[in-house]
Amino acid sequence: MASTALSDARWIDRGEERTSLPRFLLWLSPWALLLAVGVYASGLCLYYGLNQTNMDNRFAFGLWIFLDLGIIALGAGAFFTGFLVYILKRAELKPILNTAVVVGLICYSGAVAILMIDVGQPLRAWFTFWHPNTHSMLTEVTFCISCYLLVLSLEYIPILLRNRQLRRIPSFLVFEHQLHKVVPVLAAVGTLLSFFHQGSLGGLYGVLRGRPFAFRSGVLIWPSTFFLFILSAIASGPSFLLLITAIVEKVTGRKLVAEEVYRRLAFISGVLLATYVAAKSIDTLIWLNYTSPAAGFAPWQYYQHKPFGTPILFGEIVLFGLVPALLLTFRKTASSRGLLLTAAAMACTGVLLNRFVLTVQTLAVPTLPFDEFLHYTPSWQEVASFAGVIAYGVILYSLSYRYLPLFPPRQGKDSHVSGN
Amino acid sequence: MFPGIDGFHWSFGHVVFLSLFFAVVLTILVTIASSAWRATQDFRNHRAIDLWWRSQFAELPLADRRCRHELAGRVISRTCDNAFDCRHCDKYSQFAVLPSTGNVSSTGLEYWRDRYYHRGHTWVETAQDGTVTVGLDELADHLVGTPDSVALPEVGEEVELNQTAWRMNKNGREIRVRAPIEGTVLAIGGAQEGWYLKMRPRLDLREPGTLRHLLRGPEVQGWFTRELERLQLQLRAPSTPAALADGGVLLPDLMNVLPEADWDTVLADTFLEA
Repeated sequence: MASTALSDARWIDRGEERTSLPRFLLWLSPWALLLAVGVYASGLCLYYGLNQTNMDNRFAFGLWIFLDLGIIALGAGAFFTGFLVYILKRAELKPILNTAVVVGLICYSGAVAILMIDVGQPLRAWFTFWHPNTHSMLTEVTFCISCYLLVLSLEYIPILLRNRQLRRIPSFLVFEHQLHKVVPVLAAVGTLLSFFHQGSLGGLYGVLRGRPFAFRSGVLIWPSTFFLFILSAIASGPSFLLLITAIVEKVTGRKLVAEEVYRRLAFISGVLLATYVAAKSIDTLIWLNYTSPAAGFAPWQYYQHKPFGTPILFGEIVLFGLVPALLLTFRKTASSRGLLLTAAAMACTGVLLNRFVLTVQTLAVPTLPFDEFLHYTPSWQEVASFAGVIAYGVILYSLSYRYLPLFPPRQGKDSHVSGN
Repeated sequence: MFPGIDGFHWSFGHVVFLSLFFAVVLTILVTIASSAWRATQDFRNHRAIDLWWRSQFAELPLADRRCRHELAGRVISRTCDNAFDCRHCDKYSQFAVLPSTGNVSSTGLEYWRDRYYHRGHTWVETAQDGTVTVGLDELADHLVGTPDSVALPEVGEEVELNQTAWRMNKNGREIRVRAPIEGTVLAIGGAQEGWYLKMRPRLDLREPGTLRHLLRGPEVQGWFTRELERLQLQLRAPSTPAALADGGVLLPDLMNVLPEADWDTVLADTFLEA
């Protein structure tokens, strides 16, 4: 029996059990506090400029870019799931489609917010569209991320309009009905945009001739990192989705999707991760033996600066690449919930490690004879800004989970009596 | 961005890049615009209301979507897949000829043989002059008792089938009463007369299919019995195992008698709210 005092029950789908409103608000409050601190820190960066950070002309990419690249890769589950469901007609993944859209929206909107703080001068943001430098990978990234964020927002609208109260408004429901019909078009556009901007983010490092640690040869105008970023993103995206769903199941104590969905996500992630590891290994061998020596650098030079020794390369390719790929691919290991989640977490760690290495190690290792190995520690404003983004993500996901149909209706929803 | 803007070059790469960008933006904008346009067309062609109802119907629990023939005992089990639109149901005639074997025991609730009943707990009574009267049935009346406020439609207003005919407010909860038939409101009855609408139906009452979507006779009996069972389960005391009372009648003004009950669920089931 529901109490009428301080209740939001009429906003929650029938048959769905949610914690009481006071408890929900209690859960949100620390995240709201963190978000407030993040907004304050971001405000400082926007008002006073990047002197609030510990970045400088040499270390122009720091925590923000590393985590941006990381969450954009992990958010790839959104476009890839849409691609699998709408384009390849893999209906078995439909139960996680809505949650994939929300996770993708959080990742991309969070990344765009941080990028805007990093670039600064938000009032001049339109310059990048009005006067684009079409020779820059970053221009492609800017265009694609902006468009894809718009696509994700449009994909989120039908989910939002399915709220129990909002769907009572005829115009909303009819618009949602029509919008839902064109979602496959949006999914196709999203796939194209994601494909290119994930690639361009990788290509950005691959074209850095002045940074031989990152510079790669490739195909036509695209360095190998262009393709590796796409592969690693679509490999880790499903793992991240799997992990998020498992965490939400644990927190809420509810079974949200069938085991088969987990196994399917794991298999897709595993096979793609194995392909990525193979491609990355070949790329590394070519780089070690041809690209880097051609630029006048012996490979060992990059790995003599602690903590960036060879173990980090081993970790990236084997420990957080090959191992989770095998664990996720084989049905026997993927059937164990513990191993499955460990493997998914390792796959996500692997992609984060890759982005960290390319962002931080690339800038830290000396290139010129008079260069020194650089250290960089983010300022509290950088950390707080990003923590604010994480808090925003948790809040938006929590609100979406509570009030929107992110997962299929629970078993027994058709019962007359709530809770039976 | 455009020819004439600083930074634009008529180079191959520039034109290809910007063309791709504009193609993508155009696709996105056309997609949104087409959805909005089609939604507007749905409203103009009166498809919107039907779409809305069908979408809401699909969200109802299975127990609320039982076919009238199951309620009358003509079939053992059947879920309606046509949003209660028996007028256009190709299965209607197939089952309607079967004998009714449903429950005929007394429910303690009155219902009139000459009235037609809608699943949203309203009835329709036809008059010789081709008009109809619409009111709230006994079960809904027992639940709500005296509403705190009622918002009836204006005289002359068009009311659509399965859409909100009028709204009531009771103990801070809004109750939307669904219209059992489409038509124009001719007169309204206030609290003294027992809230009702007098309407001129849009469709001709002489046509046999006009009121076909509404329940009659044994269907009403079977439906009331199920609704009472549902209420007994939903209104039982907390932590009490599910059990059905063998006798007794429904108390009036239940919302005041049992204020702690889960009225969100009870009212949603009663008035077909998803």
